[in-house]
Amino acid sequence: MILSSLRDVVFGYEDEPVIEHLSLDIHFGQFIGIAGPNGAAKSTLLKLILGLLKPWSGTVQFAREREDGLNIAIGYVPQQVSSFNAGFPSKVIELVRSGCYTRLGLFRRFNSRENAIVERSLKEVDMWEYRNRKIGELSGGQKQRICIARALAQEPEVLILDEPATGMDLASRTGLYELLNHYVRQHGRTVIMVTHALEETSPYLDTRINLERKENEGWQCLVTNLCSAHFGLGV
Amino acid sequence: MAMFGYEFMQRAFWAGSLIAVIGPVLGVYLVLRRQVLMADTLSHVSLAGVALGSVLNLNPSLSGFIVAILGALMIERLRRAYRTYSELPIAIIMTTGLALAVVLMSLKQNWSKSFSSYLFGSIVAVSDTQLRLIALVTLLGLLFFVVLRRPLYNLVFNEETAVISGVRVPLLSFGFAVFTGMTVAAAIPVVGVLLVSALIILPASLALRLASGFAAAIAIAVGAGLIGMFSGLTASLYAGYSARGYDRVDFGCFIALGNRTSEITQLQISPYGEKIV
Repeated sequence: MILSSLRDVVFGYEDEPVIEHLSLDIHFGQFIGIAGPNGAAKSTLLKLILGLLKPWSGTVQFAREREDGLNIAIGYVPQQVSSFNAGFPSKVIELVRSGCYTRLGLFRRFNSRENAIVERSLKEVDMWEYRNRKIGELSGGQKQRICIARALAQEPEVLILDEPATGMDLASRTGLYELLNHYVRQHGRTVIMVTHALEETSPYLDTRINLERKENEGWQCLVTNLCSAHFGLGV
Repeated sequence: MAMFGYEFMQRAFWAGSLIAVIGPVLGVYLVLRRQVLMADTLSHVSLAGVALGSVLNLNPSLSGFIVAILGALMIERLRRAYRTYSELPIAIIMTTGLALAVVLMSLKQNWSKSFSSYLFGSIVAVSDTQLRLIALVTLLGLLFFVVLRRPLYNLVFNEETAVISGVRVPLLSFGFAVFTGMTVAAAIPVVGVLLVSALIILPASLALRLASGFAAAIAIAVGAGLIGMFSGLTASLYAGYSARGYDRVDFGCFIALGNRTSEITQLQISPYGEKIV
């Protein structure tokens, strides 16, 4: 089943296109990595998929509803989400609880199930013991981890992360990739992740989307299906 | 307690308390959205509305109120156009508002005495109509912030994640802008154009320094607003009683002279540049 489908998408900033004639299908239940050097439009591609940016031309489709008509919950961790104002008045647990707000609506109170989800999310990123700390007091890597916990507390069917391992040490990075892999393999979730660390993430990925911009050669997108070792141009 | 024997003082305290509750709550959100100067800007825009009302022989309070809301909506629209320079729309609207006010004021020579009360506020001269307007704005504001507290929290933390999690960000931002304009316009009779942002922003800045959680920040901001308003009103009433009568009553504000030990110094602020107490 296809989660997102891009057809002949062109997008750029000001007058310069950064993505040209991209066609791509993203399937449910996969662990997808988007890689490429700085300026290769990785984050731009994520935002196009999410509908945060509108393409100049071409179409972007993203499944917002499941076959049974219910909304698909999407967890999004943008690049530098953790660079929030250090004075933001919140404790760690308060921030992670805000991940449940969409599910609870305006008034429904937190019950034991919701509290358990929050606790599990914080434990999964190894931040449970920091739950009563003010978020501005945490280190960069810890801030990143609580922002991921907030996304996990949404119980998302699709988890979209933009360089989530920024500021994390090797053990935390490996723990994160294994956690995301667990969500894909055991719970059938979809994970789309922008990453620089190809060597670290490749063992876990089903599909790798490689974006490259070459001097005088324009723009190129290489989609690599790592499951079947099938290589093909997605352009 | 003798001061409560006067009807105008009762109105003054009611108006002051209502604004001192809703202003600081709004201030916390404005600071977190990095729109600290929005209140100042809208008060200047509102001044243009007051001048417009006077020139066109309309009710100046009403025209100031409407123009403040329109100004807030323009800032919101420009904010989306200038995403990377979030302070630019505020500067554009502030200078435009002030320039417009000056031009409109020059069209009318015989300004009534009450115009200075828009600039500096005249809490003891708050009319019944103004008090009702302040009460309505406070009620609407409390409803807005209580009912929408969850989406608002997600909005001020990160707009992009709020959009993806299903918060209707443009609509919520629009509502927030309208409410900001309403609060600023309602606060002007109490604190004046020149000091409206002191009431909205200073309690919030103190709260954000002291609070560890979001609800605590709101509570501290409201507490600081109320203490500042009451202490200033009381002090300046007794000081002004012998000196100048009742016509000038100013309010005091707490300012956190920020350091890590959160030392708090109380400063009395007077729009006339004189020490009140």
